[in-house]
Amino acid sequence: MSNTPLTIAMPKGRIFEEAYDMLIEAGFNLPEDVEMSRKLMIEIPEENIRFILAKPMDVPTYVEHGVADIGIAGKDVLLEERRSVHELLDLNISKCHVASAGLPNTQLNEIAPRIATKYPNIASEYYREKGEQVEIIGLNGSIELAPMIGLADRIVDIVSTGQTLKENGLVEYEFVVDVSSRLIANQASYRMKNDRIQDLVKRLKKCVREG
Amino acid sequence: MSSIRKFEKPLGMRDTFPKIFEKQENIRRTGREFLQLRGYDFLKTPTLEYYDTVGRASAIVESSLFKLVDTQGNTLVMRPDMTTPIARVASSKLLKEKIPLRLAYFANVFRSQELEGGRPAEFDQMGIEIIGDESVYADAEVVLTAIDLLKELGVEDFKLTIGNAGILDAILRKNVRTEEQFQQLHQLLVQKNIVGFEEAVAQFRLPREEEETLLNFISEATELKSIRQISKYLSEKQALLYMEQLASVLEIADVAKYIDFDFTLASHMNYYTGMLFEVFASGSGFSLGNGGRYDGLLKDFGKDVGAIGFGLRMDYLLEVMPKREEVKEDVLVLFVSTQLKEALEKAAALRKEGKPTTLQAIEGLDDLAKFEQQFSAVVRIGQGGNVQ
Repeated sequence: MSNTPLTIAMPKGRIFEEAYDMLIEAGFNLPEDVEMSRKLMIEIPEENIRFILAKPMDVPTYVEHGVADIGIAGKDVLLEERRSVHELLDLNISKCHVASAGLPNTQLNEIAPRIATKYPNIASEYYREKGEQVEIIGLNGSIELAPMIGLADRIVDIVSTGQTLKENGLVEYEFVVDVSSRLIANQASYRMKNDRIQDLVKRLKKCVREG
Repeated sequence: MSSIRKFEKPLGMRDTFPKIFEKQENIRRTGREFLQLRGYDFLKTPTLEYYDTVGRASAIVESSLFKLVDTQGNTLVMRPDMTTPIARVASSKLLKEKIPLRLAYFANVFRSQELEGGRPAEFDQMGIEIIGDESVYADAEVVLTAIDLLKELGVEDFKLTIGNAGILDAILRKNVRTEEQFQQLHQLLVQKNIVGFEEAVAQFRLPREEEETLLNFISEATELKSIRQISKYLSEKQALLYMEQLASVLEIADVAKYIDFDFTLASHMNYYTGMLFEVFASGSGFSLGNGGRYDGLLKDFGKDVGAIGFGLRMDYLLEVMPKREEVKEDVLVLFVSTQLKEALEKAAALRKEGKPTTLQAIEGLDDLAKFEQQFSAVVRIGQGGNVQ
């Protein structure tokens, strides 16, 4: 049992690099340069670790089903996907926030305000809490287009520097929730591989930077 | 919505094909013999119950209940668990005959799903309940029965994580100011969200001492060396003594290697009042089952006695069972119509030897060779190998 590799689901792209550097800093013996252009799986026999590279939105799914023992996922994804996983550590990397945005000086349409987003669960939860009835329109990318061409009054999306909004002539209206990357674990792996996972949490905790 | 195709089933419903059926039957047989030898009596309860009785008392969230309406207009539910119907039967009838009761069941339960596949809405559960025994030995018996049952089924690599709902409640309540804060922290632990717990504690702006106590508790309780470490978080030690007693009984029974204590363990099954546990095994990413003490549930049905039990899920159990290739020894007896008498005799003789025997008229077959391949042995009555 203890000989099976620890499978870590990582989101492709920027979060991967930041999280990977954190693991190296935490003392894991990982190759400095990792070739991840097209690969979906990387074996690290020295540490008995296996990385699988997934779309950020899919990381909690792999972890919930137990095909990955642990994973690194943004809080936005966790809130949207609502998977049953252990949320163990805030890595405090890839920080941004979810916000609503739209064209400057506009009000929500009174009859049926429309919100375009790739986070339908987060958006509908947010407006329900506010007591506002809205219609959610699901999009998969280039969300900023929606208010520009009149598909929606507002968008709900992640904002890091605000540059993308600015370039498209949009302004931020309401702050929804803070986002950073979290270390998550499958519930069975958390029990069956508890020593290894706790060790990882402790070592990563020392590398978490405040602020 | 697109129209329903002929082969489709409602979301979460599954067919059990012959091979899986046999495996389930094996588990059921093993489990039944095992539990009978330990003095458990099996029982069955109806699939449908009133919403106002079992539906309300059950700990399954309302949105997961399958509901229907009977001809009198009463709302019915398809049973979402077995513990609640058993509490109903025990308090209305069985407890008058014997106390404590040791009951066992093997039944399908129904919980509707909103999400995608991979989670059945109907599944089989095998479990036990001890009703009317409030001693720590009932707790120990339930834990040991779960462990021995898993071993009996050939599952080797598994863990029981044991917590205590009463102790967790006491520690949380002692250190927060309002009921809402307690509910929020408890819910975060049900969701296994340690990060959220720490954030919430910081947000509450509690006095420094309380804040530190909660944060220390959450980090210490997930990695316990000894139960006694928890003592400093409690003013009332009764429940902890109980857990220490349980731990020492389990030590004597030599099962410590299967057990972890984690006092942050919280269940969405809100009827648990004392000890509770979850079962995990390598091979499945989900919890195989859970159990615990639910001293309040029987009160809902008018009997103030303690009760404890556990249930294991068949679907996840199948995932973790050792994969044995079943060698099926079945015989095909082929005959032509003129030789029916000999064929009947031959088949009867084979069946008497205990061999599963299929009797098949050649006239009824289109593709003889393909059909023959399904069997480990073929006997031809009549024209020997010259048929067709």
